[in-house]
Amino acid sequence: MPPSSFTPFELLLLKSRNQTDTAALLMLAWILANKARALPEDRDYLDTLAGDFHHGHALAPLIETAHAQDMAAIQLAAEVLQKDWQGEPAHPFLRQAIALATSGGPPSHRNHHVLRFLADLLGVAPGALSALFKSVTGQPLPRPEDPSRAGYWAEREHRHQRRAHADDTAQARAEEDARHRRASETRRREEAEARARRQAEEEARRRDEQTRRHRERERADRARRQRERAQQRRHEEEAARRRREQERERQRGQEHDGTRPPPSFDTAHALRVLGLDDRASRGEIKRAYRRLAQLHHPDRFHAQGESRMALASRQFQRIQKAYEHLMQDARFV
Amino acid sequence: MRDLYKRLGVPADASPETLDTAIEACRHTALRQDADAVLRIPARREAYDQLHATLGDLGRLRARLGLTHAPHWQDDVANDFSQDSDRSLSRHQELADKLDALVAGGAPSAASRRPWRWLAALLITALLGLLAGLWL
Repeated sequence: MPPSSFTPFELLLLKSRNQTDTAALLMLAWILANKARALPEDRDYLDTLAGDFHHGHALAPLIETAHAQDMAAIQLAAEVLQKDWQGEPAHPFLRQAIALATSGGPPSHRNHHVLRFLADLLGVAPGALSALFKSVTGQPLPRPEDPSRAGYWAEREHRHQRRAHADDTAQARAEEDARHRRASETRRREEAEARARRQAEEEARRRDEQTRRHRERERADRARRQRERAQQRRHEEEAARRRREQERERQRGQEHDGTRPPPSFDTAHALRVLGLDDRASRGEIKRAYRRLAQLHHPDRFHAQGESRMALASRQFQRIQKAYEHLMQDARFV
Repeated sequence: MRDLYKRLGVPADASPETLDTAIEACRHTALRQDADAVLRIPARREAYDQLHATLGDLGRLRARLGLTHAPHWQDDVANDFSQDSDRSLSRHQELADKLDALVAGGAPSAASRRPWRWLAALLITALLGLLAGLWL
């Protein structure tokens, strides 16, 4: 077999003096590639990290592989890491990953999910991950935002506008200050009487200005309050509409289930929760449900603490709901 | 993060026209509003697509690594981006197989690369035997 049938990453891994370190470096490079804006310091940081690793090859090919989003290479690296680092030994690596992902502000959307994937891969529970995140960044681990909702974009643009507005007012204030300074300089050059007269004028103007600014601020406040109220009302309306729509959808779904031959989205999703494909029979569904329900029963996690148990019960409910949905579905009677 | 394409029933690389008709035909008002706000504006669609691709990759990775029911894989993301668990394709195994093939193919290669030498040796022995038989 000619050696060209090995991918570049496989060759690197074979040549590496420490395969785990090579795999970890690829994962870090992947996080770097998934950042919204990569800082030049990040590359340096990765270089210094690489100095402590015992991989014994160049870093550049790894960064290239990660930038190409080569999923075969990343899967191979993930398998190596999963095998070698489980739980506690993975914490230093996760720390480095978090530091790299958050060096330029909060992690990007993609890195939110990549970090969580790494935590799952290395068997680090959600509580431990948020503790690590807090110890590295000093802030609690935020929930990933959801760009599939219109509300996310509306809020983002609103924030943008507000920032632009703040910039505008800051600029106006700076100009005003400059004017004041110029005015005071000319004033100093003037005669004493003129100074007194002008000072009086200045005083009046400032008072006017102050009242104007005060009025302006009041108006802005009122506008903001109104905007907020309107937004809240809109949110409530939207939520109510969504609820109504869901209700209608559910009714429609129940009416139509018997006549619809291909699996609906809900059914396909339920099947996937149970790890089955579209051709599964009723017996298979029952068997899969029993197995998963046993596996994820909250009582099993009683010894592992409150949060783990809550998590298990959420998953258990998800499995149970999927099973109930499938048992009602006419396709599987 | 939901998979709007999947919920609308169109492929992720659908053209704007296909997307428009799918959004118009969608009977779920909230979904239609969200799809309208996110997918019809090119800049937003680009950002959405980027995350969508990464989540698709992560879903596939998780299916192959047996992490489809892991604690960090929850809610909408898990609902829409999970794939059927498929542990058959292990890249590590693949690499090991390649190495095995290389090792197995490498050992007899010295002999198999020059089969004509063996043939020549055999022929000469046979000839010598024949000559010896005639001589005697």
